[in-house]
This record gives sequence, structure tokens and C-alpha cells, in this order.
Amino acid sequence: MSKPANLTPAPAEAPLDRSDVRMRHDDSIGAMLRASLDKVRSGDLGMLPVVVGLIVISVVFSLLNPVFLLPNNLVNLLFDCATVGIISLGIVCVLLLGEIDLSVGSMSGLASAMVGVLWVNLGLALPLAIFAGLAAGACVGALYGVLYNRLGMPSFVATLAGLLALLGLQLYILGPTGSINLPFASVLVRFGQIYVMPAWLSHLLALVPGAVMVLRGLRTRAGRQAAGLSAPPLSALILKAGLLTLGLEFAVFYLNQGRGVPWMFGLLIALVVVLDYALTRTQWGRSMFAVGGNREAARRAGINVRRIYMSAFMLCSTLAALGGMLSAARLASSSQQAGTGDVNLNAIAAAVIGGTSLFGGRGSAYSALLGIIVIQAISNGLTLLNLSSSLRYMITGAVLAIAVIVDSLARRSRVSHGRA
Amino acid sequence: MTTTTKAMPAKGETILRLSQICKNFGAVSALTDIDLEVKAGEVVALVGDNGAGKSTLIKVLAGVHQPSSGTIDFMGRPASLDSPGKALELGIATVFQDLALCENLDVVANLFLGHEMSPWALDEVAMEVRAWTLLRELAARIPSVRQPIASLSGGQRQTVAIARSLLLDPKIIMLDEPTAALGVAQTAEVLNLIERVRDRGLGVIIISHNMEDVRAVADRIVVLRLGRNNGVFTPDASNQELVAAITGATENSVSRRMERKSVHAQEQTGSLT
Repeated sequence: MSKPANLTPAPAEAPLDRSDVRMRHDDSIGAMLRASLDKVRSGDLGMLPVVVGLIVISVVFSLLNPVFLLPNNLVNLLFDCATVGIISLGIVCVLLLGEIDLSVGSMSGLASAMVGVLWVNLGLALPLAIFAGLAAGACVGALYGVLYNRLGMPSFVATLAGLLALLGLQLYILGPTGSINLPFASVLVRFGQIYVMPAWLSHLLALVPGAVMVLRGLRTRAGRQAAGLSAPPLSALILKAGLLTLGLEFAVFYLNQGRGVPWMFGLLIALVVVLDYALTRTQWGRSMFAVGGNREAARRAGINVRRIYMSAFMLCSTLAALGGMLSAARLASSSQQAGTGDVNLNAIAAAVIGGTSLFGGRGSAYSALLGIIVIQAISNGLTLLNLSSSLRYMITGAVLAIAVIVDSLARRSRVSHGRA
Repeated sequence: MTTTTKAMPAKGETILRLSQICKNFGAVSALTDIDLEVKAGEVVALVGDNGAGKSTLIKVLAGVHQPSSGTIDFMGRPASLDSPGKALELGIATVFQDLALCENLDVVANLFLGHEMSPWALDEVAMEVRAWTLLRELAARIPSVRQPIASLSGGQRQTVAIARSLLLDPKIIMLDEPTAALGVAQTAEVLNLIERVRDRGLGVIIISHNMEDVRAVADRIVVLRLGRNNGVFTPDASNQELVAAITGATENSVSRRMERKSVHAQEQTGSLT
């Protein structure tokens, strides 16, 4: 097709994606800052709510009780984060599709009960018991998938029914005693309560994200330049990676003043990294976002929509089961109380606070990590103040409400600014 | 355009043949005994009033709806189009009236949706380059392929949807009202594009309400009325003939309006003399 005469011809040497004169290109660091400010103004909040939330929380709680910011309290905080954080990671998957799983709390409780019964009471090997718990999670998720795909049951209702049914199953297998203590000397409990990384290893691992960022950035740059596309400036890349490394090294240094970085938290981060890769760099992840954004369009593009829903429900329940078993390890017991109370809401609130939209099609694996830190910081701070659980519930409820309000207001603003 | 890897059918060979296709939605029969044939290197226009069944027919061919009865032959073999993926695989690409784009994804992601390069480690650079080349060929004016569809205008979205249909080297491309949202220049570009696609030996099915556009590109005009075949015309058929077939009567609102106009004009000229 011949080019229309009125189209301004691009300079011959301009990269493919820089030939349109109407685009403003933010190449310098200053321009990048301006672009991110524009983004926030139009309702693309990103991590802003988390950062603001964490600053407010730290200031308020450390004023009320200086113990809050001590290294050992923060180490405890990270231990607590890992269990619900893993559950929240599964919630991110279903929220991306615009669905929800309200039964993650009960599923985690059931898995913790299964570990107690199979491992302690029946004497099964620990890996087998853990595997059984994960398999139970996968089965429950598959059941939700079938109910949703084949019977058209809204996930809200199916998982609400699951919430009650799984809780009943948990009480049933725990039997009349209602609580099983896990042996303190076991690997599982030590993993959930004691194991921390050696200081040198944690410092070394803190270097990895920055290094990966630079290496990947350089590779992308080279690839883009070879293909005739514009490449982001090197200075911004190095600045970002440098700041990230500094921040992480400081955090690790500070935690090492106390007990150190928990291995369990390391597991959460590893899972977050894996899920982030799957969501952003694989076809499955792209399909997740597509189905969450426009289900019918995804179907017409040839995506197997049912399989996507199935995978998300299964992943969510399996991660919930894993989180439940780790929280049993954290408490060194499988009890009737496991997974009840605020576990459900905390997991969902964490994903939403971290920036995953309840309306589907927007979010990231990191939102679970960031959100759970906020949620656990609040809960930890309130515990330090010796507040009763009645007050804690009310405050956590209010935080969730605020997070959802911020999400829907930001969404409205995005629509009016022509962002997705 | 890209070089086609699949064997293309010879020009004039029948790619698609529908016979006796029926589609019922409950008590409503949206399509009754539809016959349609599309040859390689031919543009078939599908015209009809609102509710004539054009979009339903397109959706049957795209695998979105399954026909209640009737047979579909593709490349001389009976084919069952039981899912959109199956239709795409066979080589039937569709640009839907509602475009079926994901607004939360960027242009590149939408172009390659469901057919990403290297599924286990998406090759964003290669996909972006391919996206730019494809859009360049369509003379598309999209400032950045990394912005979400939500920020594009209607015409730009239309272009993205058309570009996407060409990505997989289809044998037939179906366009449902491709020019309805476009400006004058872009309409001309789309019509050019349709002709180029035809010259490459693809079959094209186009739905349009704009008789001018239809006559400009179509080799055959198939009229549907109330879910049935109502005649096949050549592009040199008169407007009146077409409108009569579309509305089902020589005496219709369009002809009455024409008549009234001409009478009015005669009266005016009469009063002048």
C-alpha cells in the first residue's frame, strides 16, 4: 500500500516505534519521572498506596510502641507474612480473571488439619502428608473449575459453599479432640518458626534482583537495538537497579541485626518471582490477562477460556493449601481455629491493596507480597498495642473497604483517561 | 504482506461452500437454508437489512455459534467449526463488528493474542517488530504499539482488528462492517486492503450497509432477507434492484421516498414553466 502523502515522513534513521510525531517519548530520567506522575494522576496508582500505607503504618505504630520497628519484631512480621502471603498469591490469580475464591481460609485450615492427621496421628511420612494436602487443594480447585465452567455457577457462590463445606471437613477429620500438636523438633515446625538464612547468603541474595534487572535490561536493549526499535536509556536502568539493591541490602542488614531473614519468607518471594514470570512472560499469563479483560474476545482469539479458569482455580486452592500447612508449622499445631477468622479477608485484602483489581485484567504477583506486608504490619502493630480482636477485626475490615474504594475510584479515573 | 507458508488454493477454486445452513435461537430461526460459496481471489459482499442474519452467519463461520443443521465444506472437505480456535486453525479469520479486542492489553498483545511467539518465554521484541511491519503495511496511524487498546480511537481499533486477522495467513477473511467507524481516508485504505488481500488469492466476505463500498470492491453481492437467501447480484446491479432484494419488495420505503422526491422535483420544474 502506498503511503498517504499527508503522513509526515519519518526520518530514515528513526527506530520503528519512534516514527510517529504525535508521541511524546520519555527518554531522560526527568521525563520518566514526569511520565510516572502522569500515570498516577490518571488513576494508574501502581505501588503508591502500598508505599504511602507502609510509611503511615510505621510512623503511627512506632510512635505508639517503639518495639514495632525493632529488627526482631520485623523478622516475626515476615514469618507471619509468608503464610497468608502465599494464600494471597493464589487470590491474585482468580482476581485477575475477575473471579473470587472465598474459601481459601477454609482450604488452608483443611490442609493444616490434613497434615496434622496424616503425619502426626497416622504416622505418614511428612513429604507424603504435604503432597496429600497440596493434592486436596488441587482437587478442590478443579471442582470449582468444573462448577464454574460446566454448570455456570458464579465463583462467588461456589466458593462460599466451599467455605462452609471445607470447614466442616476440617472439623470432621480433626475429630473430637479438635487440635493436634506438631512436634517442635521437626523440620516443618522449625521451618515455620526458626530457620533463617545465614547473613552472608541473605546479603548475596539481595544482590540478585538488581543484577538480574541489569542483565535482562541489557539483553532487551541489545535485542531491541538489533531489531531497529528504540531502547530505554541505560542511565535509568542502572539508577533503578542501584536503588533497588541499596534498599534490599539495607533491609537485609537491618533484619540481620535481629534473627535474620526467614527461609519461609524466602519461599514466598521465590513463589512470587515464579508466578510473576508466568504471568508476564508466558502465553498462559497473557491469556489470564486477556480472559480477565474481555472473556469473549479471548475466546474468539482461540484461547481455551475454560482451561484458563480451571488453572486459576486450581492454582488458588493449591496455594491456599500450601499456606495453610505453613501456618500450621508456624503455630506448631493443627487446630479447629486454623484458617478461620480473618485469614480469608486478609488474603483478599492483601491482593487488592497491592494493586490487583477486583474487576479483573489488572494486577501482578508482587501485589500479594506488598499487600500482605501492609496487612501484617497493621495486624502486628495492633497486637503490640494489646488491642482486643474485636477492634482488630474492625480496623482490618475498614482497611479492606478503603482498599476496594481506592481500586474502584482509580478504575473510574483510568477509564476517563483512556487507560486500561 | 508476509510470504504465505501454507499452500494457497488456486484462484477461482471454491474454498468455502455452505449448504442448507439453519440456525435457531429457541423459537426464532435466525438462518434458514442458507447457501453460500466463496472462491479463492473473490470478494463476496453479504448485504441485508438489520436482522437479516448477516452477523449470525459470520459467527457460524467463525465458530462462535454452531449451526442447527446444514453442512459446511472447507477446501472440498466437510468441516465442523465447533470453536473459534478450530476456525482460525482452518484458515478462517474474522474481524467482528465489536472487534473483540482486550482493552486492558496493548496493541502487540492483542495482535498476537492466542498465538504468541515462543509461549514459554514470550519474544516481545520479535512480536513488536512484526506488529510494526504489519501496521506499516496497512498504513495504520498508531502512535505506539505499547499503549493499551483502551486509549485508541475507533478507527485505530478497527485497524488493529484487521491487522490481527491477517497475522495468521488465513485463506478466508471475513469483515463485519469494517468501514462503519472509519473516516474517508481510512475507508479507502480498508477497501484497498481488501483488494490486495483478494489479489493474494484469499477469499473475502464483507458485510456492509454502505452500497457504495460494496459495489466498489465486491465481485458478487449476496442478499439475505429474514434469514434466507434473497438473490445474488453482480456489482453493476442497480441500487434499486439491490434495495428491492434487501427489503423484499419493489414497493418499499426507499422507492417511495425516491418517487416522492422525483414528483416533488417535477412539480417544481412544472411550476417554473
